[in-house]
Amino acid sequence: MVTDGAPTDVDVVARILGGDGEAFGILIRRYEPGLLRFATRMLGNPDAAADAVAESLVRAYRHLAQCRDPGRLRSWLYRITGNRCRSHLARRHTNDIPLSEAPAPALADGSDSWMALERSEQVALVERALAALPAEKREAFVLKHVEGMSYEEMAVVTGARIPTLKMRVHRAREALVVALEAFV
Amino acid sequence: MITDPQLDAAIELLKTPPALSVAARVMAEIRQLPRHSQTEPAARRVRWLTWPRGVSLALAAGLAALLLLPPPAGPRNALAPGAAEGIAQFVGHFPGARTVEVVGSFNDWSRGVLHLRDDNHDGIWHGAAVLPAGQHEYMFVVDGERWVTDPLAGRFVDDGFGAGQENSVLIVRPAATRP
Repeated sequence: MVTDGAPTDVDVVARILGGDGEAFGILIRRYEPGLLRFATRMLGNPDAAADAVAESLVRAYRHLAQCRDPGRLRSWLYRITGNRCRSHLARRHTNDIPLSEAPAPALADGSDSWMALERSEQVALVERALAALPAEKREAFVLKHVEGMSYEEMAVVTGARIPTLKMRVHRAREALVVALEAFV
Repeated sequence: MITDPQLDAAIELLKTPPALSVAARVMAEIRQLPRHSQTEPAARRVRWLTWPRGVSLALAAGLAALLLLPPPAGPRNALAPGAAEGIAQFVGHFPGARTVEVVGSFNDWSRGVLHLRDDNHDGIWHGAAVLPAGQHEYMFVVDGERWVTDPLAGRFVDDGFGAGQENSVLIVRPAATRP
């Protein structure tokens, strides 16, 4: 993600490895929103997500010389963050994440009432449904539909094969529909 | 019944980025770390040796091997390892490669420090270096862009970034303990 006139990831990485540590701020501004969103959707807890992303970014800085292809820095950062999230989930001894404390709204009619929900309630409801998915499916779904990655990039991030990822996304969509219906 | 448009609407909601930032926290932490150019120069920890003429290797096609050898003698090897150092010899078969180098934990994974040579243009690239005794992780970098795990390193470790990629591992024995 580079806008016109902005330095490319390759340029920024070269500056950092050349001693310009402050240039790492460019990468943070570039990728922090997506990484935080990804970690929050994976962990279901903004504080845990912030910790995971902060730890991942520091780790990325320390090992930047190990980034084998700075032109694919985004994939590398997501891989580190995804790994950190998986470690965090493993420490919980469960793949399930806590449901949001926000109450699930009860709706009489799926279509009309859905549109009538306040945005925050909608977000809470969808987060609850997402949280009900197994971690692997949740990760595949978020990377594909929320972060907008190609299956090739998802394979780099997760280490899973593309057919496996396609199946996970398909199953996640099915499960999310079921979960949303249960909450609605 | 949840419809596809409703699922798409749910996805749009999930795209809302959280109102968080860790930028200040991360920058404060990395300012406490040494800058990359301020890390110990690799040349202080790694010294290249010229290839000893007395060493002969028989390699099968496709073989990439790491050998740990006693310090070669002779005037071409002016850099003798210290008591806490050893010599690592790197050999890889990369026919058609333009450049082959070694990056690892011993040189901060920096390229442009440890280049292998193929003087005979037979695709067998080799070089030797004095390294601190102990365990090191490394990879070959071919033509400046292709990272290759040494398949015959004997030991491998996960590179720590997930996705199941591995670094090769070598253990350098201190010269003082060799027979």
